[in-house]
Amino acid sequence: MPIDQQKALLFGAAAAVRLLLFTAFPSLPNLLTGRVEISTPVTSFKRLQEGVFLYTHNVSPYDGGVFHQAPLLLPLFSLLPNPAYYPFATNLLYTIVDLLGANALMHIAESGQSATPRLFKSSRKELRWSSIAIGAGFLFNPFTITTCIARPTSALTNLFILLAMAKASQGAGSTFVLALSVASYLAMHPILLFPPLLVLCYDVRATKSKSAPNPLAFTAFHVLSLVVALGGLLYLSALLTGSWEFLGATYGVRLLLPDLTPNVGLWWYFFTEMFDSFREFFLGVFWLHVVSYVPGLTIRLRKQPLFVAVTLTGIFAVFTPYPSIADGTLYLSLVPLFRHLFPLMRYTFLASSTILYASFIGPAFYYLWIYAGSGNANFFYAITLVWSLGLSVIVGDSLYAALRDELDVERPELRGKEVKRI
Amino acid sequence: MRCQQLSTPRRRHHRKMPPSTQVDALSTPTRAPDGSETAANAAEGAPARRQPPPESNESMWTRRAVIFSFWAVVVFLGLPVWWKTTAIYRADLPLQAMTDWADGKICKPVFPLRIAVEASALQSPDAQHLIRTTQHALDDLNEFSAHHLRLMLADSPWTANLSQQVVSDGLRISGKDEDIALTIRLVPVETGTTPRSHLQQYAPTLDVYYAANQIPPASSTSSPLATFIAHELHKMFAEEQAQLAYLLSTTSSAHSAKIKSLSPETAAELERQSTRALKYAPTYHLTFSLFSPTFVPSAWEIESALQQYLAPLLESFSSISNFTVDSQVQLYAGFSPSIRQPEYDETLNAWTLRKEDLSGFINAAEWPLSPSIGIGPTVNFVLYVPDQSQSPLLVKENGGNSWLIPQWGGVLILNPAQAANTANTPTTLTREALAPAMHTFANQLLSLLGLPQTPNSLPLRLSTLKRVRAASLLFSASSTLGALARLTRALPSIPIPDKVAISVDFTTDHLQQACNNLREGRFQGALEHARIAEAEAEKAFFERSMVGQVYFPDEHKAAVYLPLMGPVAVPLLMAALKEFKGLSARRRG
Repeated sequence: MPIDQQKALLFGAAAAVRLLLFTAFPSLPNLLTGRVEISTPVTSFKRLQEGVFLYTHNVSPYDGGVFHQAPLLLPLFSLLPNPAYYPFATNLLYTIVDLLGANALMHIAESGQSATPRLFKSSRKELRWSSIAIGAGFLFNPFTITTCIARPTSALTNLFILLAMAKASQGAGSTFVLALSVASYLAMHPILLFPPLLVLCYDVRATKSKSAPNPLAFTAFHVLSLVVALGGLLYLSALLTGSWEFLGATYGVRLLLPDLTPNVGLWWYFFTEMFDSFREFFLGVFWLHVVSYVPGLTIRLRKQPLFVAVTLTGIFAVFTPYPSIADGTLYLSLVPLFRHLFPLMRYTFLASSTILYASFIGPAFYYLWIYAGSGNANFFYAITLVWSLGLSVIVGDSLYAALRDELDVERPELRGKEVKRI
Repeated sequence: MRCQQLSTPRRRHHRKMPPSTQVDALSTPTRAPDGSETAANAAEGAPARRQPPPESNESMWTRRAVIFSFWAVVVFLGLPVWWKTTAIYRADLPLQAMTDWADGKICKPVFPLRIAVEASALQSPDAQHLIRTTQHALDDLNEFSAHHLRLMLADSPWTANLSQQVVSDGLRISGKDEDIALTIRLVPVETGTTPRSHLQQYAPTLDVYYAANQIPPASSTSSPLATFIAHELHKMFAEEQAQLAYLLSTTSSAHSAKIKSLSPETAAELERQSTRALKYAPTYHLTFSLFSPTFVPSAWEIESALQQYLAPLLESFSSISNFTVDSQVQLYAGFSPSIRQPEYDETLNAWTLRKEDLSGFINAAEWPLSPSIGIGPTVNFVLYVPDQSQSPLLVKENGGNSWLIPQWGGVLILNPAQAANTANTPTTLTREALAPAMHTFANQLLSLLGLPQTPNSLPLRLSTLKRVRAASLLFSASSTLGALARLTRALPSIPIPDKVAISVDFTTDHLQQACNNLREGRFQGALEHARIAEAEAEKAFFERSMVGQVYFPDEHKAAVYLPLMGPVAVPLLMAALKEFKGLSARRRG
């Protein structure tokens, strides 16, 4: 079967599954929208509806403190018919978003930047999955499907992150910057992906043009275009809402965590317990913790920039203030790009079982806490710890595998032998 | 490789060994060398198999860059965040000025009272001379320097532009000019004992009647009339002086040394008065309650009674405090079970309550007398109409029917059947029936508000109260400032928000104005400024956000920082240390 036909079949099947779920279970989208594991205060579809309602009634959407999402989503969603009566258009939009994301993911896989970047050839580079398999892994991942059905705006963020990665791995500098700025505009933290993706883009450009461009000029140009693109988006938003107050209501909420609704992350519980006078300090510490990985990983794994970007998405899925399983699914869909590292990973069983454990017990414990009243907040918090543990085990294990892979290339005689840190 | 590096100092050490050991070592050549020596030899023997190749320059620099990048985040972002978010904001307070206020160093309150003398029948030089002699007599009598009376001629050039017009019309000037505490009207008479005086009850005017021959001649330095007026004035303001002296002596140690000592009886009386009176508030709430153990009386004409008997009084108080009023009727309200039931007294022909039971008369558990409604303190007035079978009800010891509960209110037992000479208790208490109760309540209210007993002129007593209140507010606000300054010095770990600094500035500003007003004799203005100063000082002292950190000792900070910062700091520090060690070792080797 030719590759195009396979792709069409895959996309058709994925779209069919989604549309079927939407139509066969009409109450499913609303049920999933209310789940804290999928919908956070900054991505919830319900809150988006509230914002759209206020926006179409000429009230500032940020009045009332419910809506915390980017203003440019409002005109987009106000164009669609009301999802309460005509859900098909919205459903179709989210299905298309998923398909486009899968398409971008397949482009990344086809670029081969995961196993054979410019400065590094993995010794196991022949060990890889086809782009169709990786696309299928994304499209038929149950987490992706539930995210799509629940319709949080993090699905859009994921799409733009994947697009940015795809464009960077194709060396398309301006589209990469554009996609990344949209992703950062929607969710703020993707801007941290800029350094590794810029390195990736530079490497690809250097491979393609045979003579490496001047790194300083390249960086300056792209930083400048990122600033221009982001500034343009923010300015457009200010024009749309009539003031700059959206900054506090969107990015301010992400930075300062005023809404302590439970989610699968680690922040909410910590900050419900924190002394008020240390709250600002620990907000700073938590954010700096996320930020501190970016330069370290980018420098250490200079030769594998795509791996750095993927690892960072995994770190975001654990350590950002409002993560959801949408962030987890992005990371889990990107990991199969590094099929060549799988033989070197040591805790795959542990990681996959903790992830499965958390995904099954999490909703049950949440039910015990909130509805049955027989549990308490610690039940759910314990499960979010397990979920974060599972993701961090994958992050740490894959990091180890990537370093081991580099060592194998550097010193081929040590291949397959026990190594020890000295 | 590490072993090789280690072996070098070991050898050096070996060479430096004391001779005896060397001899020892030489004497037993067969003894095996120590372990490290062996290991070094072994390592030298097979370096390729056991030891990794030397680290490449590139990877070394990568490692350094990575460690540096983490440290850069910590130092360039983390430290500023830490500094910014945990710094305790302490607004600058004028601590020295605040302490000075509390110690009374800035403001020494004085009470210059202006007394206008109207002497329309006298020639101006005569009148001037009379005033001068009276002033001399008055100054000789006065022992309290902060409080002095200054006489002035009503139509003297000093006040002429103000009062000329009015005086020529034959009207009193004091009604127009609030700063005049008292007006003395000199009236020549032919008959009766002279000099004699009459204080008007509802105006701050003292009428002095004199015979024409009592005007002091220009040559004399004293005269009976001048002495008489001086003594009258001294007597009139004696209680005010005593009150102010008492206030100065109790509130501030700095003043007590300078004022005359009060006689113990006066001090005890003043203390009794001050414990009885309510704390000053700009607004008081008055609650009038009718309690009856049966179903009658079920109505009272309280509104018109209040309008007639109390409203004028409250009106006259309006420059000092405002009042809100409500009333309630409570039927089937028996008195407290904790006191003895009334007994019938044959001699009084009445039912009697024991005096010691009066304090338990109010049935706090069942009577709905809420402690405070609205912002101000509540003053309760209870009208109790006893059951017909126990009427009339009186207090056993003195046959009275009303008493005052300090700082709370007043109680009156009304026996309407006895008053109206009817057998039955009326269902409605008319305005006329309430009149005695209202008069009693009015008197009780005056005591509760701290109005002095003398002189017998309401405007004068009110203006006395105004001065006393202004002074006490001034002292109270000053001492609050002092307490805040002490608190700020004693607890360096509490934050001081800007709000507090603004309030303090506001307080000192108004205190200064109040003080100036006092000095210039404008007591109404002084009271208003002192009132604002007091409110602001209280606001600053009881700022909520200041006390949050008081009970947060430094040991607790370790408990906050360590669990999270420890695990992060250990690898960071170790990596940096290792790198420095490696660097210095390489430099040496």
